[in-house]
Amino acid sequence: MHSKNDKKPSIIWFQGLTCNGNTHSFLNLENLENLLNKFEILSHPSLPSTQDFNSITECTLECDIFIFEGTYDPLMKRNDTSISKIVKYYAQKARYIIALGSCASFGGVFKASAPERNSGLLFNEQEKSGPLLKYESKVINISGCPIHPEWLAYTLSMIEKRREVETDSLHRPIELYSTLSHHGCTRNEYFEWKVDAGAFGEKEGCLYYKQGCRAPMTHAPCNKILWNEVSSKTRVGTPCFGCTEPDFPRKNLFSTKTNMSIPEDIPLGVPKRSYLTMAGIAKTFRIKRLEGKLIDYKTAD
Amino acid sequence: MITKQLIEQIEGEASILFDMKNGVVDFATISFPHFRGIESILKGKNALDALVITPRVCGICGHAHLMATVRALEDAYKNAGYPIELSKKSKIIREFTLTMEIVQNHFKWIYLTIIPEVAKLSNSTREQTPLKGAYAASIASKAIAVFAGQWPHSSYMIPGGITTDPTNLDVLKVESFMDELIGFFEKESLGVSLEKFLSFESCKDFKILNSDISFLENSLIDMKMNQKGFAYDRFLVIAKHTFTKPSKLKHTRPFSINAKYVNTIDSYSPNQISYAKNAQYKNIFYETGPLARAMATNFPIVKNMHRRFKDSAYSRAIARVFELATLLQHAKELLVQIDISQKSFIKSVDISKITAKGIGVVEAPRGPLLHSVNIKEGIIQDYKIITPTQFNIGSSSKSDPTPAQKAMKGVTKAEALFIFRTFDVCSVCTTH
Repeated sequence: MHSKNDKKPSIIWFQGLTCNGNTHSFLNLENLENLLNKFEILSHPSLPSTQDFNSITECTLECDIFIFEGTYDPLMKRNDTSISKIVKYYAQKARYIIALGSCASFGGVFKASAPERNSGLLFNEQEKSGPLLKYESKVINISGCPIHPEWLAYTLSMIEKRREVETDSLHRPIELYSTLSHHGCTRNEYFEWKVDAGAFGEKEGCLYYKQGCRAPMTHAPCNKILWNEVSSKTRVGTPCFGCTEPDFPRKNLFSTKTNMSIPEDIPLGVPKRSYLTMAGIAKTFRIKRLEGKLIDYKTAD
Repeated sequence: MITKQLIEQIEGEASILFDMKNGVVDFATISFPHFRGIESILKGKNALDALVITPRVCGICGHAHLMATVRALEDAYKNAGYPIELSKKSKIIREFTLTMEIVQNHFKWIYLTIIPEVAKLSNSTREQTPLKGAYAASIASKAIAVFAGQWPHSSYMIPGGITTDPTNLDVLKVESFMDELIGFFEKESLGVSLEKFLSFESCKDFKILNSDISFLENSLIDMKMNQKGFAYDRFLVIAKHTFTKPSKLKHTRPFSINAKYVNTIDSYSPNQISYAKNAQYKNIFYETGPLARAMATNFPIVKNMHRRFKDSAYSRAIARVFELATLLQHAKELLVQIDISQKSFIKSVDISKITAKGIGVVEAPRGPLLHSVNIKEGIIQDYKIITPTQFNIGSSSKSDPTPAQKAMKGVTKAEALFIFRTFDVCSVCTTH
């Protein structure tokens, strides 16, 4: 009974049009070795692998999990072999297909290098029309530019433990992507009282009103599972660019589009009228503490 | 006879066509196949968006791209008549995070790239520990992320400074990551204190060590890499940093430089599709990266090494190890200089007021990275990127080979492949 299940799940990590960002982000995983020990790595862009790349592109192997990083460009070749042949071969063989990063999930940054033909594996931005439509039920999208290493570790561990990874309508694990990147942001109080950040480079103020922050509209646990275990974009005063969503990269990333000084895109799922009422009331109050400096260093000039 | 060799487990993919004569490489051409068109993606975008897009050129040196962009934008501000003011704090923090990105790169190169190759080529039975490189790099990334929010793909540098406003709590946290990382480097990599290692005067000093680094050094000597892999013995460092001295060197003689003399030419790789252009300085090839930077700053042990072994594969590889050591120490020194009471960001006019050209040059892990931008009323008209790998590992004709092509000539194919990796290849940057 045990013998068959004892075999470690095998992984092929394969790249399309990519910057290697997900590869490098994954190398930051805490206890990387523990995770890797649970799998057989047949091929990986930088970690020791049991198979050489030629045997991967010859399409004679099998794997349990096929991880694809990067945008899918149907005309691309790897090792002189058409990527469409390789991807379809492993998609058919694998039990799970992980589209790793926003490029593989939706097209991402490199979709724009050839917008008419590049896409993610299952989705072309929001539209479900990618090359792996036939294998839809196997595809898990882990979007993000890049992915947080724990998001992948979670997904792989769930598969290894034979637990079901429930996903949302964009095929992303709900336990990761039901959280908005707004959740856990250290600037939340400023958001509640509608106090915007006067400028960049300050601890105070919310970045949603002027600096372009997409956190209230973005599915990502960036402020729950901290980056590199220490921080997040919004915590260091950088707006969230919405990099886990199908429309990444949007335009004018450092400014908020407003109508009558109200952000055009309002927090996810909040009816516009409710938001306007709340914002209107909050703005009538002046809260001195929130207008001042968070820390008043006595030694400062 | 011409044979093709695929190179993987570098940053991206490359292939080399070897023309062999009497068992040694007579000529080799290099191709980088996967074009991504970042420059055209940037056209028509708000110039500030480049701060988000260009780090996505490269997963391992995206921070260098971020800094090149911010320098290019600040240069455009200046040229438009609105010079940007930067606080000392924001300058130091930028330098710190850039330095630490080079540090994580070099750790990965040592453990994930070069030691495994050394072991393969010398049939060593030594236990392989590639994950040491990933671990050390992850600590370096944590130190970056305290200031930059995350690594890879941070966009925390903006014209006028940085978005972060750190407290002493943050600085202390970073200092403790530095202590952890330096302790790891001493115990796991060097087998001697950082201070002692940096006081080495000659390669003979490696004899006292029994560590990963001495294994690397000894193996390079056993493989006679101190007698192979020579390029032009010409070096180029362009960008100004707290740890560099911009200059071009012919052998050991330094000359002043100006980024405007960097030129690109079409690459030569018959029968293969390649998207890389070769980069030169005044139409001449130069080697860039750690060896070049150490030669320019007159780093004593590297100068000593160079006196004996010139720009061999050995010198190239060991210079990278010493740069790692130097930069760890340098990063610690930078932290002490941070005055948290200074401004993080000094506001200037809106980008929509800017119509100008700008150039940003940065020393990335592999050498100079140049970004040039042409902005009209805040919108990018044109964006050009030249990456370090285009200097080192272009593909040119037999009569005027690039540094990597020259370094691979006259050795066996296996040796050539090893020498190729001593340049620390970044294909993804090259095919931006």
